[in-house]
Amino acid sequence: MKILKFLLIVLLMSLFSNFKSFSDEAMMRKGLEIFNETAACAACHIFQAAGSQGNIGPNLDTVSMTFESVKEMVTYGLGVMPAFGEDEILTKEEIDIVSNYVVKSQTK
Amino acid sequence: MKKRLKKLNLSRRNFLTGTATLAGIAATASVVPISIANANHSEGKKGLPDFINWKDRDALIVHSDKGIETHRSAIGESLITPNRNIYIRNNMPTMTDKQIGNRMDWKVSIEGVKNPKTFTLAQLQKLGHETMATILQCSGNGRGFFKHKPRGSQWKTGAAACVLWTGVPMKTVVEACGGINSDAVYMTSAGVDHVPTGLDPNKAMIERSVPKKVFKDAMLAWEMNGVPVPNAHGGPLRMVTPGYFGINNVKHLGKVAFTTKESSVKYMKKSYRISPIGKKGSQYPSCWEMPVKSWVTRPTDETGTVKSGKVQIVGVAMGGTKKVRSVKVSVDGGNSWKKAKFIGPNLGKFAWRQFVLETTLSPGNYNIASLASNGSDKQPELRMENRRGYAHNGWKDHSVNITVV
Repeated sequence: MKILKFLLIVLLMSLFSNFKSFSDEAMMRKGLEIFNETAACAACHIFQAAGSQGNIGPNLDTVSMTFESVKEMVTYGLGVMPAFGEDEILTKEEIDIVSNYVVKSQTK
Repeated sequence: MKKRLKKLNLSRRNFLTGTATLAGIAATASVVPISIANANHSEGKKGLPDFINWKDRDALIVHSDKGIETHRSAIGESLITPNRNIYIRNNMPTMTDKQIGNRMDWKVSIEGVKNPKTFTLAQLQKLGHETMATILQCSGNGRGFFKHKPRGSQWKTGAAACVLWTGVPMKTVVEACGGINSDAVYMTSAGVDHVPTGLDPNKAMIERSVPKKVFKDAMLAWEMNGVPVPNAHGGPLRMVTPGYFGINNVKHLGKVAFTTKESSVKYMKKSYRISPIGKKGSQYPSCWEMPVKSWVTRPTDETGTVKSGKVQIVGVAMGGTKKVRSVKVSVDGGNSWKKAKFIGPNLGKFAWRQFVLETTLSPGNYNIASLASNGSDKQPELRMENRRGYAHNGWKDHSVNITVV
């Protein structure tokens, strides 16, 4: 009986873990989609992970960043970069997703 | 309820650039990475972007490929900052040789004058010839000291340089055009570097208005420290507005107009405004005149421990739009000050002066600060808090800690 209970827990944990990694992967795919299409970040930035070669803003692989710093930049913009949050071009959720995607995908 | 979102008000065709347009659309159809390259800012062999691979990597701090700072100790101890050490702050991509074409054929139009004209660079070079020294300084130089971490490059002291420019005085150009229209209030300079990008000019165009009076000191420069103005620094022709922050020294200059109103582009109306934290808008002052400022360049925490005994404390001091009159140096965090000596040639009120204080230090830790005055104003102790971290000239943040052994 104990063995069955243990196996059940292992099975549940494994399912949860798979679900979590599936969810992470889905979020990263969504992040890429926002980067390349919804917000068109790709048009202005070089970013190896997205294969983008835009040459208006900084090369995102050369910039030091945190989730918070990216989120703030995407929300409020800078210079020619639109204020994606303030001007309601992206939702808060989309901003979180794309910021997370950029920080986690950076190649330095 | 989900908020109704606004769409980007740029058409996608206009918003996206060059081959990235096709690449982006193709890629996102299947949400896979884009693989078509069109960038000219790829990383060079030395860890610098290709477009400035001629610079001295060791002299520079790379914040991004478009935001590159000079190390505090590499600002130059011979008054003029060498081109290979000068900072890079580009709002828009640097134009390529191909985009520029024959430099002598580069055109600039002069408007808001009695007889509007367009000059080629070759024609400008026949019109007049002058050399002057000015300070190029990014409005955000010192942003890295602000505690609220404003967005943008976290410059400390190195978004500044003292440069020798050669070109034609704007005054000469104005005379050749029959004088300025009587109703003009501003001199508005526009770069042409937005053209190849396909972006909305109102958002991407670097067009800056400064008070009309600036034309008396301004220059259309084609040479920078003895060589043609490098593309990365705005060649083949750059507006130089002495005493005014870097952004007003418009690169890739295509037009100078004497206007009754300030430019309405984003870079004039919204960006580069010195507003309180949490506030913004065109009602706040634009980044125009630079304030009095100084900082020590040696010894610093970058140059390692200092041997006890006689020490030369050196640095640079600027008066903004006025001549810098004096500099005092403190080795005890501002508790006491000694007058430093100006050295080197005086290249005019728009250049910086080098200063030196010879002192004797015994082993221990020291906080070294400098405090400049232009006769009317002196550096404040603290920074002027503002939203974007502009115009920092407080002496305390600019001080350095050193260890003497």
